[in-house]
Amino acid sequence: MTTTSAPPVKPNARVRVQRFGTFLSGMIMPNIAAFIAWGFITAFFIQTGWTPVPALGGFPSADGTENLGLVGPMITYLLPLLIANTGGRMVYGTRGGVVASIATMGVIVGTTIPMFIGAMIMGPLAAWLMKKVDALWAGKIRAGFEMLVDNFSAGILGFLLAIAGFFGMAPVVTLLSNALGEGARFLTETGLLPLASLVIEPGKVLFLNNAINQGVLTPLGIQEAQETGKSILFLLEANAGPGLGLLLAFTFFGVGIARASAPGAIIIQFLGGIHEIYFPYVLMKPLLIVALIGGGMTGIATNLLLDGGLRAPASPGSIFAILLQTASDSYVSVILSVILSATVTFLIASVILRSSRKRDLAALEDKGDAFTSAVDQNSANKGRESDVSRLLGTDAAAAGATTDVRIQNIVFACDAGMGSSAMGATVLRKKLKDAGVEGVTVTNKAIANLDADADLVITHQDLTPRAEQAAPGAVHVSVDNFMSSPTYDDVVQRVRAQQAQ
Amino acid sequence: MSSAVLTTDRIILDGTARTREEAIEEGARLLEAAGAVTADYAAAMHEREALTSTYMGSHLAIPHGTNEAKAAILASAMTVVRYAEPIDWAGNPVRVVACIAGKDGGHMAVLSSLALVFSDEAAVEQLLAAPDAASVLALLGDVNDAGE
Repeated sequence: MTTTSAPPVKPNARVRVQRFGTFLSGMIMPNIAAFIAWGFITAFFIQTGWTPVPALGGFPSADGTENLGLVGPMITYLLPLLIANTGGRMVYGTRGGVVASIATMGVIVGTTIPMFIGAMIMGPLAAWLMKKVDALWAGKIRAGFEMLVDNFSAGILGFLLAIAGFFGMAPVVTLLSNALGEGARFLTETGLLPLASLVIEPGKVLFLNNAINQGVLTPLGIQEAQETGKSILFLLEANAGPGLGLLLAFTFFGVGIARASAPGAIIIQFLGGIHEIYFPYVLMKPLLIVALIGGGMTGIATNLLLDGGLRAPASPGSIFAILLQTASDSYVSVILSVILSATVTFLIASVILRSSRKRDLAALEDKGDAFTSAVDQNSANKGRESDVSRLLGTDAAAAGATTDVRIQNIVFACDAGMGSSAMGATVLRKKLKDAGVEGVTVTNKAIANLDADADLVITHQDLTPRAEQAAPGAVHVSVDNFMSSPTYDDVVQRVRAQQAQ
Repeated sequence: MSSAVLTTDRIILDGTARTREEAIEEGARLLEAAGAVTADYAAAMHEREALTSTYMGSHLAIPHGTNEAKAAILASAMTVVRYAEPIDWAGNPVRVVACIAGKDGGHMAVLSSLALVFSDEAAVEQLLAAPDAASVLALLGDVNDAGE
């Protein structure tokens, strides 16, 4: 779409995939800090952690008292809800984030598996539905009742989606989890062990690692270990090598937050054994699963050839736990399997990261941080501009991951969002209506509440710089007179021209 | 609910203020007398004005408080004060000052009608020539009833 001049251009498949990837990273990356916090808490306080604390780690105290702990609730509720909220926000602002969180809560409670995949589907979906529902009566609500209608429509939709998630989404994900587990069992029992990585690695990054390991591999491994004194099965999922290789690749070839946080994540993953910490890095670049599968297969093949195995499960999958459980005749094999799998994963992941590095860097420079803001679909149209063709997206192709922006959501913004912006919105709404333009919403907001949902932001010229900061992806227009600005007629004309196509 | 936001006793056709500051005071006193704001609100209105002028164009200014001053608002209310001689509003001539106290969006309906009136030159002329408070209210109310 770089050369064509016939707008609006349909984004091709490559752009779509890129945009999907950017969306995933936008949903995951802002929440990396929460994963790191959880990783530390887990590495320190679980029963097999560095400094076990029953009350925090969530295992029974010495006197037998059950503890809820921090670890379980955080991974069950906090992390998926954060992802759902971020995903919802990206689709439909704060409002989308709220509905996304409500709906995802239903998905979470509907099952016992950590619901990351559910959050990543339900979050954006719920926000998108909210957007559609709002569009049904946009501009038709009598002034003064917006707040009431907004709150109840979001509340009712959230209520329905939470129930739908509880009964609908959870069984699907449970089914997926069971299927992966069964796949792992089949491959293990038929001796096609290296192929087990094909299901184990994707299962892991969907946070089904414990279901696969503790549900399938550990019981089978214990059986084998009772007969032979060791089992390779304990290493299938627990091998810390692939995760290490992946994070090292990010350390050297990643960009932005991902690169900066990767070395710290290595400590949590490789030394602490909390593999979950690297899953988000894969979720935001799903192709990387190839690197993990390659590394996992290498590790398994190494141990098969050299007859390596662990005496008991290594939990968590830290290099220390692995070495502690290594059968006395298997040190060479196990250590080699970790090193080789890390190397293979590193090499494949490096190729993948380097091939997209240029684009990631460009996005980074362009937007300040690719992961938090490249999600903005309007990236090529940032800044103030007055050229109709840009509004129509005809030259909006420079950055590769851009789209042609149709102006559908116009936001008037002012300091408090209660005075001038409301009046400006009223006037523009009337002008659009008089011009027979439909399908465009005009709302008013405080600048502080602007989000990526706005296509066109109108502010008083004194406030435009602030608004540009708040919504860098939108087209910005300044006015100096809210009542009879010629700018309004420009906007009406642009939207009409756009719709005429 | 919107009918109580602007009433004839909050519409004054012969305002006495000569400066922007006086006009804000005049409006603030009306809002206070209506029981819509506390005495703190006037200060917030001056503060907001210093931030950016609330001049809207078409001889209209809409002074109101800052986002932080919402606690000083007891109920939604609006005043409309007309001045025979234009007031110098940061370099712009203002004939009508509409002071706003907005609580939970209750002022939006009247504000919208105000916006529609002031975006229509003929309607502005009508308002500037209106003989009494009741006809001003009717002008704003009519637009309001017509919906958006």
